Amino acid sequence: MNELVHPYHRFIRPTVTHTTFCPGCGDGTVAQSILRAIDGLGMDMDDFVFVSGIGCAAWIPSPLFNADVLHTTHGRPIAFAFGIKMGLPDKKVMVVSGDGDLVAIGGNHLIQNARRNIEMVVLCVNNGIYGMTGGQAAPTTPMGVKTTTTPYGAFENFFEDISGLVIAAGASFVARWTTAHPRQLTASIKKAIQKKGFAFIEVISQCPVQFGRKMGMGNAIQMLEDYKKRSISIKEAKKLSPEELKDRMVVGEFVDLDKPEMVEEVTRMIRRASGEAQEAVDTGRG
Amino acid sequence: MATLRIYDELCKGAEECGICLYVCKEEVFQPSETLNQKGYRPPVVVNEDQCTQCENCMIFCPDLAIVVSEKKRKKGSK
Amino acid sequence: MGEKRVRTGRYFMMGNVACAEGALAAGCEFAAGYPITPATEIANHLAEKLPQVGGAFFQMEDEISSIAAVIGASWAGKKAMTVTSGPGISLMLENIGFAIGVETPCVIVNVQRGAPTTGMPTIGIQGDMVQAKHGSHGDYEIIALCPSSPQEMFDHTVIAFNYAEKYRTPVFLLSDAFVGHMREEVVIPEAEKIETVCRNIPEPGTDPLKMKGFLDEDVAPMPIFGKGFKAHVTSSCHDEYGKRNLIDISALDKFVRRLSNKILKHKEEITLVERDYEDAEIVLVSYGGVSRAAAAAASQARKRGIPVGTLRLITVWPFPGEEIEKMARRAKQVIVLENNLGQVYPYIKAEAAHFAEVSFLPPRLVGEIQDPEDILRKIEEVSK
Repeated sequence: MNELVHPYHRFIRPTVTHTTFCPGCGDGTVAQSILRAIDGLGMDMDDFVFVSGIGCAAWIPSPLFNADVLHTTHGRPIAFAFGIKMGLPDKKVMVVSGDGDLVAIGGNHLIQNARRNIEMVVLCVNNGIYGMTGGQAAPTTPMGVKTTTTPYGAFENFFEDISGLVIAAGASFVARWTTAHPRQLTASIKKAIQKKGFAFIEVISQCPVQFGRKMGMGNAIQMLEDYKKRSISIKEAKKLSPEELKDRMVVGEFVDLDKPEMVEEVTRMIRRASGEAQEAVDTGRG
Repeated sequence: MATLRIYDELCKGAEECGICLYVCKEEVFQPSETLNQKGYRPPVVVNEDQCTQCENCMIFCPDLAIVVSEKKRKKGSK
Repeated sequence: MGEKRVRTGRYFMMGNVACAEGALAAGCEFAAGYPITPATEIANHLAEKLPQVGGAFFQMEDEISSIAAVIGASWAGKKAMTVTSGPGISLMLENIGFAIGVETPCVIVNVQRGAPTTGMPTIGIQGDMVQAKHGSHGDYEIIALCPSSPQEMFDHTVIAFNYAEKYRTPVFLLSDAFVGHMREEVVIPEAEKIETVCRNIPEPGTDPLKMKGFLDEDVAPMPIFGKGFKAHVTSSCHDEYGKRNLIDISALDKFVRRLSNKILKHKEEITLVERDYEDAEIVLVSYGGVSRAAAAAASQARKRGIPVGTLRLITVWPFPGEEIEKMARRAKQVIVLENNLGQVYPYIKAEAAHFAEVSFLPPRLVGEIQDPEDILRKIEEVSK
C-alpha cells in the first residue's frame, strides 16, 4: 500500500526534524501557505532566495526551507534582499519576518523599498508582540495590553494599519490576511510572487504563548476564533463607517497595480550607460 | 489508501495546539491516549468515514504533521 | 570588458577617484553607499563608471542598508563594496560583524574625517583605526590597508578586493580626507598586469548535505546563491555546514576561533609593510598619510648624520606584531607617529618595548599631519 506523503515535506531542509515554533503558533501555518503557493505555481525552491531577520517569524525560512536562505541582522532583511535581487534579478526574492523586525527596527527599509518598487515579496507576520524575547510590547501592540515591558498596559498609539503605510509608500501589491485565512493567503502569495514590483503581505498571526497565555488573550483556538469574528473583507468594509470598523480587521487585497519597477529601470539604465561607453570607445573618445 | 495520515512525531499536541480538532467540522479527530517522543499528545483519527477531505486540518496544521489524500474531484467540491 | 574597466595611463588624479578606478580594475560589480563627506567622490565616480561595465552604484537610505545590500550582492556572487566615513562606519558595525560571521567578501572604504561624532568633515584624521578592528561586538579579526597616496588608493583598492575574495572576509581601506582629496600622479597599468582574484565556489552539483561551506581555516568555498547549493547562511552560531547551533558551547568556541584563525593563519601572506631601517638606531613607525612626513623627517635626519629609519605599516590589521618585534630588536629608539592621540601606539608598544625605548608623537594639532620639523626635534630629543 502506498503511504500518504505530505506534499510539502519535499520543500523542507532534510536536516530539520521539526518546526521551531511553540505549539499552536501561526508561523507554521504561514510557512505552509508559502510552500503551497510555490507548489501551486509549479515552481521549485531553487527559483527562490529567502531572506529573514530576527524573531520567531524569521525562523520560517531559516532553517526550515530547503533553499538558499540568508538569516540576517534584526530589522535589515529587506536591505540585504535588495543586494541579492540586484545580483540575481532572475531569482524570486522573498523576505519573511515579523512586525517587530520589519516595522519597528527595520521600518525605514520597508518604506524606502516600497517606494523604490523593487521586485520582491515581503511577508510580514504580525503577531503584535515580541515573542522570541519574551513578550515585550511592539509598535503593533494595541493600547492597554499588558506586556512584559508595559506591565500597566501599553500606553503608546500603535500601528493599526501597516498595510496602509506600505500602500502610501508606493508598493505595487499589498494584501492582508490572518492565519484564519490560509487559503486566501496562499492565493495572495501566488499573486505576490508573480508581481513585477514590491509585493507586501501582512499576516495577522497568533502568538498563543506571549500574546495569548501571558496576556490573557487565550489559546491558539480562541485567537483564531477572534480573527474569524473580527475580520471583514475590504469589500464589506467599504460599506461601513469608521465607527463601525473599530476593532475590526480589514482583510483582502488592497492594491494590485502596475508601475515602474526598479530592477527593470536599473537594467535599462545600465544598457544606456554601457551603450554610450561602447560608442565612446568605438569613436575613439574613450 | 488511507484518507489521512498523521505524522505523530511532528505534532505539538492536540491539547497545546489543537488546531486540527478545531478546524475539523466533522469531528474526525480526538486526542491520542499516548504521547509522542516530545511528550505531546497527537490527534488520532476516530471517524475516518466522516472525513470530507476538505483539507482544513492539513492546511491549518502549523507543523505540517497532517496530510489528507487528494479528493476525487467531485462536482461542486472546492 | 577589461579595457573598459581599466583606464590604463598616467594621470593627475584625486585619491578618491583613484580608489574608484581601482575598484573598477579589481572587478567591482556592485557598490552601495550613502552620501558623506569626504568620501563622496568615490561614490560619484562609481555611479558614473559602474553602469558602463554592467554594474551599478546604489544610493541607499542609510549606511546600515548600504552594507546590508553589499553583503546581499556578495552572496549573489558579485564583487561588492561600500564607501563611507567614520559616522557611516559607526552605523555599519553590526552588519560588518555579520559579514565576518558568515564569511562574506566585500570592501569597505573609510575615508576618515575629524571625529568623534560628526566632528569636522573635511579634515583627515586617523581616528577610526581601532574601530575597524574592535568596533563590532565579539572577538574577530579584520584586514585593513592604509594607503598614503592617490597611487595607493588605486593599488590598495585592488589588493583589498583580492584579499576579500581570497579570504572570504570584509576588508577595510582606511584612508582619510587628506589622502582621499590629495591630487597626485597615478599610474594605471595595463589590464593584464593587474592581478585580480575571485572567490572559490563549490563544484556545481555538489550535494548540499555534504557541502562544508563555512568555518574552514583555509577558507571554505563560498556556496553563493542561485546555484542550487541550498545554502543556509545564518550569523547565529553555526557549524561547517551552516547549521545553526545555539546550545552547544563547544560549537561557539569553534565558531569564534575558526573565524579568527582563518585570518591569523594567513597573517604572513596578508601582511604588507615598507621597511627602511637598515642600520638605523631610531625608527619612525607610521602608516597612511603620516608616513609621508615620517619619510621626509628620516631623510633630513640622515643628512644631519642621525641614523634614522622608517617602518610603514601598509596593513595595520591583522596587527603585524612580528614585523614590529623584528624592527625593535635592531633599534634603540622607536617613535610612533599617528594623526590621532595614539590608537595603534599601545599595540606597537606592547611588541617593541621589550627591546627598545618606545615613544609617541602626536601632531601638534590633531587633524594636522606631523610637521617634519617637529619629528626632527623629537628625533634629536631621543637621540641625546
